Amino acid sequence: MTTTATPVPSKKPSLNKFVLFLMPVLLLAGVIALFVFTRGAGLNVTPAVPIESVQFERTILRPGQIELRLRNTSPQEIRIAQININEATWPYTISPGPRIPRLGTAVILLHYPWVQGEAYEITAFSSNSIPFNTSIPVANTTPSATAGTLWSFTLIGIYVGIIPVALGMFWLPALKSLGPRAMTFLMSATVGLLVYLGIDATTEALDVGGKLGGAFQGTGIVGIGIIGTFLLLDVVGRQQMSIGRSETEQRMTLAMMIALGIGLHNLGEGLAIGAAYAVGAATLGTFLVVGFIIQNITEGLGIIVPISKDKPAIGSLVLLGLMGGGPAIVGAWVGGLVYSQPLSVLFLAIGAGAVFQVAYEIGRQMIWKEMAKRQVPVTVFVGVLTGMLTLYVTGVAIK
Amino acid sequence: MKKSLHDSSRATEQLISRRKLFKAGLGSASLVGAAVIGASLDRSREAYAKEHHSPPGLGHHLMPAVVGEVDHARNGFNPTGILTDFDTGTVTKLPNGQALREYTIVAVNKVIEIVPGLEYMAWTYNGRIPGPTIRVRQGDRVRIKFFNVGDHEHSIHFHGIHPGSMDGVFDAASGVVQPGGDYTYEFEAEPYGVHLYHCHTTPLAKHISKGLYGAFIIDPKESRPRADREFVMVMSGYDVDFDGKNDFYVVNGIPFHYDHDKNPIRLKVGELVRIYLVNILEFDPINSFHLHANFFHYYPTGTGLKASEFTDTIALMQGQRGILEFRYKYPGRYMFHAHKTEFAELGWTGVFQVEA
Repeated sequence: MTTTATPVPSKKPSLNKFVLFLMPVLLLAGVIALFVFTRGAGLNVTPAVPIESVQFERTILRPGQIELRLRNTSPQEIRIAQININEATWPYTISPGPRIPRLGTAVILLHYPWVQGEAYEITAFSSNSIPFNTSIPVANTTPSATAGTLWSFTLIGIYVGIIPVALGMFWLPALKSLGPRAMTFLMSATVGLLVYLGIDATTEALDVGGKLGGAFQGTGIVGIGIIGTFLLLDVVGRQQMSIGRSETEQRMTLAMMIALGIGLHNLGEGLAIGAAYAVGAATLGTFLVVGFIIQNITEGLGIIVPISKDKPAIGSLVLLGLMGGGPAIVGAWVGGLVYSQPLSVLFLAIGAGAVFQVAYEIGRQMIWKEMAKRQVPVTVFVGVLTGMLTLYVTGVAIK
Repeated sequence: MKKSLHDSSRATEQLISRRKLFKAGLGSASLVGAAVIGASLDRSREAYAKEHHSPPGLGHHLMPAVVGEVDHARNGFNPTGILTDFDTGTVTKLPNGQALREYTIVAVNKVIEIVPGLEYMAWTYNGRIPGPTIRVRQGDRVRIKFFNVGDHEHSIHFHGIHPGSMDGVFDAASGVVQPGGDYTYEFEAEPYGVHLYHCHTTPLAKHISKGLYGAFIIDPKESRPRADREFVMVMSGYDVDFDGKNDFYVVNGIPFHYDHDKNPIRLKVGELVRIYLVNILEFDPINSFHLHANFFHYYPTGTGLKASEFTDTIALMQGQRGILEFRYKYPGRYMFHAHKTEFAELGWTGVFQVEA
């Protein structure tokens, strides 16, 4: 502080200021210390029964072995005491040890002659007799990262991501013949499509997030993922647009943004499919793959709508296709080989935020402009609804 | 008996069904469980090898078992001791020449380590499960001083023939004791046989399943033929997560205690073995006893001196009991267990180690 009488805030940081800002923090430390050393400062903070929770993060099956990876999501350390599997008490080893610190992980190994394709129910009892259940709906050897499995997951990504998106882009020549009203309709349909995907991904993220251990705050992950992705893409989009290039370039940028958004969404999709395929549950039936191709083909259409009147280079089109469909491959790898629920929630939320932002971007840049030029509210309404209904109807095949 | 598989696979299914794709005809086979992995596993396998010895049983043959031994000293009882721990009470002669057998039994809450590392807040008679094996002779006067130091009302309900005021069911006048209170049960011991006693306050299933039970043997006036070995075996279970279903099944308090790699019961070829077997298992309707590589003479409720059956397996409902007699012809290791596989694999398994 200066010695002048006028209370002009000093511009440069001073020690005094620092101490003033630190004051509440120091007081807080004091209160915490008081609370800890007096064991609750008058409050009875010891629950009658310890609150315990455990998250089973992965189940890995090898011939004659079942490995469970679990995380302690309780407020304190827990100790694993016994394992029962399908109504039998079974010997096990636990690494690094039976005591798991808060948010720590442990790996339980059972030498158990499991049978291919059968179901197993496993209960881990804590030392306080609290049971934690997990199940193996369909026992199957968990794939490890070999060239063969990587190629399988790559193929899955190609089938559900790259191929449908690329097929959709072949609508490009046809779009060139369409009038402005039809383009507005398609644009609106793309928005409807994206909004539908976003709602779907959000629901899914909240669903999985709600099952995470309390400490993970699944809903918080969803919020951060959606809002963060939305705002980040908004910043990127505005920076790209503001560089002051031709309208053609701006439209290409918009197409890129759409491809990026859809790509992030497909990442989450690939993750789920990869995870399913890895446990053998997904004999990804022909029916299912065809269903995905039909549904995702509309994503390819959405990507090229903004540039349908331009003459994009083949290279740009290939890039768009890879951006939109390629992440499904990465998702399948991650899902198949290192699936984790918190990560899955984050990916789903990022995908949701991305498609919401892209829907907003198309609306702002294309549809609003068009609406300013002519009366098309009914076209927009019918378009958006058509987009949503398209996904609803094609969704029947894969749900 | 647990039946939660379906519930939890449904939960699992929801957990992973992004786009619910698996519902597409994959049915409940859906998905991924807590899911999947594989990549960085080799590292963890090495870690195991370094940090852990193989659990018992892994070297030769996979069998259900618990790893390690519970702390019997801390539990205050050892099932090996319970086998032959017949409490004949403090005996005095009444003026009429009748023998008076006096006992003190205390109902007390106690944390019991039932399987290694797992602690259960039990209700016990004299701090052990099962409670003391009371052994008297037909016609004896039995006097049991009962103290309740638990935090719920308890009683002792004996199976046998006695006045209603000694039945331990309805109120203070019939032997229901409030926390801090006491009561003296007194009656003539009849009829001879193997019986049981247990708490009979409500909710009854809770009071029994938490551990308030024991064997009550009345020997006939003329003793049974001398046996080389006599054992008591009380069959029960533990519902450690309070869902009304047993998580572990047991004979004499500690699951798997008499298992081959733990504390098998040692016998000699040709010895006459007599087992006083009692079933007080709560929640499940039927328990059973199966003897390997042998047959036994069975005396239902022990109320006769002639065996009713020569068999290797018997079924008992809750409260049913009987006496088994057998000799082993060959040396070897022989299992005895519930012939309900689930019960056997959740703890009700033991082994006779027979030497020449």
